[in-house]
Amino acid sequence: MDYVFTILILIGLFVILASSFDLVIGHCGLISIAHPIFYAIGAYISAMLSKQSGMPVPLSILCGGVGALLASALVAVPALRVSGDYLLIASIGFQLGLIELAKHFHEIGGAGGLTNIPSFLIKDFGRESYVVLVLALAALTVLFIRWLTQGPYGRMMTAMRDDELAFSMLGRNAIWVKVAVFAIGSGIAGIAGGLYAHYFRFLEPDQFGLLQSSAVLTMVVVGGMRTTMGPVIGAIVLQLMPQVITFFNLPPSILGPLQGLLFTGLVLFFMFVRPQGLLPAADLWVGRKQQGDAGQSAKEARS
Amino acid sequence: MSATLEIRGMCKSFGGIVVADSIDLDLMAGRVLGLIGPNGAGKTSLFNLVCGVVKPDAGSVSLDGRSLEALPTYERARMGLARTWQNLRLFPSLSVMDNLMLGPRAYSADSLMDVFFRPSQIRAHEAEARDRALDILERTGLSPIAHSRVQDISFGQQKLVGVARALMNEARCLLLDEPMAGVEGQTYALIQKAVRDIAASGVAICVVEHNVAFIRDLCDEGVFMFAGKVLARGSVEQLINDPHLTELYFGT
Repeated sequence: MDYVFTILILIGLFVILASSFDLVIGHCGLISIAHPIFYAIGAYISAMLSKQSGMPVPLSILCGGVGALLASALVAVPALRVSGDYLLIASIGFQLGLIELAKHFHEIGGAGGLTNIPSFLIKDFGRESYVVLVLALAALTVLFIRWLTQGPYGRMMTAMRDDELAFSMLGRNAIWVKVAVFAIGSGIAGIAGGLYAHYFRFLEPDQFGLLQSSAVLTMVVVGGMRTTMGPVIGAIVLQLMPQVITFFNLPPSILGPLQGLLFTGLVLFFMFVRPQGLLPAADLWVGRKQQGDAGQSAKEARS
Repeated sequence: MSATLEIRGMCKSFGGIVVADSIDLDLMAGRVLGLIGPNGAGKTSLFNLVCGVVKPDAGSVSLDGRSLEALPTYERARMGLARTWQNLRLFPSLSVMDNLMLGPRAYSADSLMDVFFRPSQIRAHEAEARDRALDILERTGLSPIAHSRVQDISFGQQKLVGVARALMNEARCLLLDEPMAGVEGQTYALIQKAVRDIAASGVAICVVEHNVAFIRDLCDEGVFMFAGKVLARGSVEQLINDPHLTELYFGT
């Protein structure tokens, strides 16, 4: 049963990661693949705060999210002031650099990993409670992103993705929108990181490298960018697929590269055959109906 | 009467190519100024310099007496500077209505704090913008296509949407970059009427246009530009009938 719980938790965490990554790369059009590093920052901050200073775990997870949010703004502000393309380079540099740094920092476990991270809920209420928590937070993340992208802020992101110059000429601050969305997406990833840390209770810098970047990217591309359910489906499919492979009892030396191949192969396959993903996004942005629309209907009825 | 938009000593060159050579220009409230000149004269470049899309080598711009020099494009727009683009630059992923909804100087969701913590304010803002957009769509005859995608409407209508979107700003100064290129028939008359109405409401307008009839019908005054310089200023009739300028325009 523990195995099933673990899979469910991983699915929940990757739903959070993929949805928040879709907010950044899909809805806002910001090209960055360093999402897992903000997941790592959240995980490490939360783990260290609860382990070293005895901070209550919910609070430390929240601090991890804030830490990831601030760190992402730190990367995004200088990169986006120059040009959007620099974000990709700056964020990958940040990701790989920070991983190397973490490997040499013995206070946070170094390359060997950080162990004995305090657990949360499991001792008192069993693993089921943690599964419920993670899945509830995953659902909340999906709903939050849907709410944000279908409201007036979503209209802004869509326009900015279409044409940044025309967007600025209407009086909208494109850099601020990009930094804000990047930070929100990364902050959510940070919270997922904290949830990861207190369940698995072990963190290793190499977990958060490019392989994980490619996994999250694959989930979004395969599921369908700029859709509410696309990243969810992508996360479920891509999380279950490696589990299926493990049943073949292959040696680890083959299994690892095979999973990498699978992700890359899937991205290539979808890019060529179905670039819109399993769930294609509508090509016209339609916001949710609001109470303010009453004014619209009154006026339209008159005309 | 002081000018709404004041351009002083504007200079810009890209490598050896001079696109603006000490340009001084005043746009007055309620008047339409036509910018005339052959391709490459620096007309669109002047718009880009005024809007802060391109940084000038020297010179200054002020709107209602306030300097725009240090401001990025979006802040200039928030002060009441609006423009349309030669190549449209509409948002293809948005409907005509949503293209307009983004146009007000203060947008409902400019502040994330409002988005998260003041939903009622956002709703009020959105409703207000929607009413203004509906009003503008009605005046420009775009109401029937308000919810269409911009790719699905005619080129002339797209041009009109560009003008309508700029109108959402309630600008003090409006720059129109070739609003008539590729436009015919009914849309032509609609754009003409829209520009006249805006000018009548006290907005300073500058139009870059190759359509001589349009310029003649609409502009109170014309400026002839060539190789980044203002060569002549006067009534449109005067400029069109000047043999020297005609020669420069057609290159004969």
